[in-house]
Amino acid sequence: MRGLRMYLTPFAPDQSGAVSVLFELGGIIVICDAGGCTGNVCGFDEPRWHAMRSAVFSAGLRDMDAILGRDDKLVASLADAASKMDARFAAVVGTPVPAVIATDYRALSRMSERKSGLATICIDTSGTRLYDDGARKAYRVLFDRFATEQQPVEPGRIGVLGANPLDLSCTSADELRAALPGAVCYGMGSGFDDVLRASSVERNVVVAPSGLAAAQLLEERFGTPYELADPRFAGEEALAKLGLDDVRDKRVLVVQQQVSAHTLRESLRAQGAASVTCATWFMQLDELREEGDVRLAEEDDFAELVREGGFDVLVGDPALWPLAGDFAPERVSLPHFALSGTLQDGSSYAPHGGAR
Amino acid sequence: MEHVARAFTAAELVQRGLDDLPDELVSGRHLIYSSPATLAFNSPGAEGFGVKRAGLAIPGSVMLVVAPGCCGRNTSLISDLPGYEGRFFYLTMDETDIVTGRHLARIPQAVEECVAHLAVKPSVFMICITCVDALLGTDMERVCRRAEERVGLPVRPCYMYALTREGRRPPMVHVRQSLYSLLEPKPKRSTSVNLLGFFAPLVDDCELYRYLADLGVKRVREVSRCESFDEFEAMAEANFNLVLHPEARFAAADLEKRLQIPSIELTRLYQLDRIRRQYQALGQVLGASFDDKDDYAAARAAIDAFAAAQGGASFAVGECLNADPFELAVALVSYGFAVREVFGTITAENFVFVRHLAEASPETQVYSNMEPTMIHYDASDCPVDFALGKDARWYHPDAAGLDWNSDVQPYGYAGVRRLFEALLEVAGGAGDKNAPAETCGDDGKEVLA
Repeated sequence: MRGLRMYLTPFAPDQSGAVSVLFELGGIIVICDAGGCTGNVCGFDEPRWHAMRSAVFSAGLRDMDAILGRDDKLVASLADAASKMDARFAAVVGTPVPAVIATDYRALSRMSERKSGLATICIDTSGTRLYDDGARKAYRVLFDRFATEQQPVEPGRIGVLGANPLDLSCTSADELRAALPGAVCYGMGSGFDDVLRASSVERNVVVAPSGLAAAQLLEERFGTPYELADPRFAGEEALAKLGLDDVRDKRVLVVQQQVSAHTLRESLRAQGAASVTCATWFMQLDELREEGDVRLAEEDDFAELVREGGFDVLVGDPALWPLAGDFAPERVSLPHFALSGTLQDGSSYAPHGGAR
Repeated sequence: MEHVARAFTAAELVQRGLDDLPDELVSGRHLIYSSPATLAFNSPGAEGFGVKRAGLAIPGSVMLVVAPGCCGRNTSLISDLPGYEGRFFYLTMDETDIVTGRHLARIPQAVEECVAHLAVKPSVFMICITCVDALLGTDMERVCRRAEERVGLPVRPCYMYALTREGRRPPMVHVRQSLYSLLEPKPKRSTSVNLLGFFAPLVDDCELYRYLADLGVKRVREVSRCESFDEFEAMAEANFNLVLHPEARFAAADLEKRLQIPSIELTRLYQLDRIRRQYQALGQVLGASFDDKDDYAAARAAIDAFAAAQGGASFAVGECLNADPFELAVALVSYGFAVREVFGTITAENFVFVRHLAEASPETQVYSNMEPTMIHYDASDCPVDFALGKDARWYHPDAAGLDWNSDVQPYGYAGVRRLFEALLEVAGGAGDKNAPAETCGDDGKEVLA
């Protein structure tokens, strides 16, 4: 049945993706919910929550707030919070509740700016879509609103879009920066000032589909070129790290976010893999899609793909293994945090820190 | 500009009164800080017994979460726990479902498919719905009846409506009503009693079991100690219910109306004299008296032993623990300790303890975990020797302390004795966060019923 899950818990939702993008930027982030969505974001989908302080709040909506559409109350609370901390901007992130009551985000951001004096953006997430859609919206809105000034291009300065824990399945962008010296990983080790200076990079590297819309905006606005690649999976060394030493003549299925999967595909091909199919539960860009690539939606889609595909090697999140049955005997673990809540170092984030 | 976490002294709060609490201490008047210290508090599904875990309290039950993906996302934290594997299913809603409500028509079929997938037919099928259906005004009782017709087993709703958390019947109240609504009338047994309120048992050595046995009670039943659906159903034969948590009040009232089982409410306390008075009052209602001398003395001895080792110790008390933080603070002060801070939520019910605290320790600082300025909290402003509660321990990482929030419930004199025994144990390793956190039962393996 469409939408029925028997093995997999739901994947990270769009509001988690939006918060993941904004988390390190020094703004006040208000999740427009009753409390549960914020608890999910902070308690599950944001592995940095215990390691660094970020002003992520719940609007604390109650039934009558939703029924009566008390936006003024939310705006007053936001302005009150803004007066008690040094924030660079405010962001309101949507959830199913404002989706049901059709909150007017444009009006909300105008009211908030007037009352709080803080530049306010709204991300119209609904909780029904996946994290990458929310991250895509957040990157796009963020750069559209704040990356407005043309600045001189600094040679060697590289922008990285799509770097967030849900896409990269790690909590720091150190590995990316090692692969791309001079990289500014927006929202992951780089702050709000770097967003303001986005026009100063000589090129952008989009490491996940969620970053593409913002890269296109920056190309259009400043002429900044971009490329799609996840350098962490490029080359023989990356394959060795994953334990993919011998792939010659093998048929490989890679299940990940599409940019990582595609970079890995190129590395596998260079090492003589017979074929590499990329599948993803998330956004699939035309730019990287090849014949045979699969966009997964239901548990049965994956089971059928593995059953019918005749793969020798399956690279993906171990949470998928129960669906794979006895097919694809060689399995290589490549966790996707947005899918299973497991980081690529194998640890899982649990409330109050630590691996579970 | 320097920012600090906002706090108020107990004296200040009492002077203002319950009707004039500062906005910072009233959750509906500010944004909610989902502090890392209180995730379990703000995210009912994340830790402890939230609606989802509570909804599976009945042995052999399974749950279908019908919601947008975001509401089911963190369920894997529960489904990975022993005893919960394979008991959760999800029917995810999309935007069209939200607009049209078409998902409701699919629920009976989804239930049928889940039952067919299971090797063993479940005892009960719970359907958990969330804020979206609260706003849509979904009649889930009707949907459940349709599903029941399809699968031939009880199907019950479970409302994870965060929107109504501060309403008259919040989700944790309703889930108890939903669970106990499964009980059908049975002949009464004068020797059977139910303990309602918790989803895990009381500590095995809680004196309450013994006191009831002394009264001639042969069966003390708690939902968490039922190993089968039949055992759960036997709760309907109880002569009376003891309500140990106020969130079970409505469920108890339902049982009184439907099955004619009367109830008596007891409060969890850490003040020995109040515990004694409560048992005396219970004895009067039941026409008996309890010999509590030894239990009282044992608890007092544990307090004295800790006081001898750590006389005048200072505490921070949080609310993520098995106690009312204000009542526990009053108890600690009455035993001669200093309580510097309480992280808690003031309610009409516990304001009486705030009054007592103000009398005994007027300078105690009261914080709301949920208030936005808690992002600025700095433990160095108010160092303490011991932190009680998961939240207080998070705020005071260098203090010795106890989470004191195990599933198994400390209660009565046994709870007090265990608390101070555990404190004495961690006092030896002050500052060592890895010290044994608590000794609070053995997960209730011994089934009393």
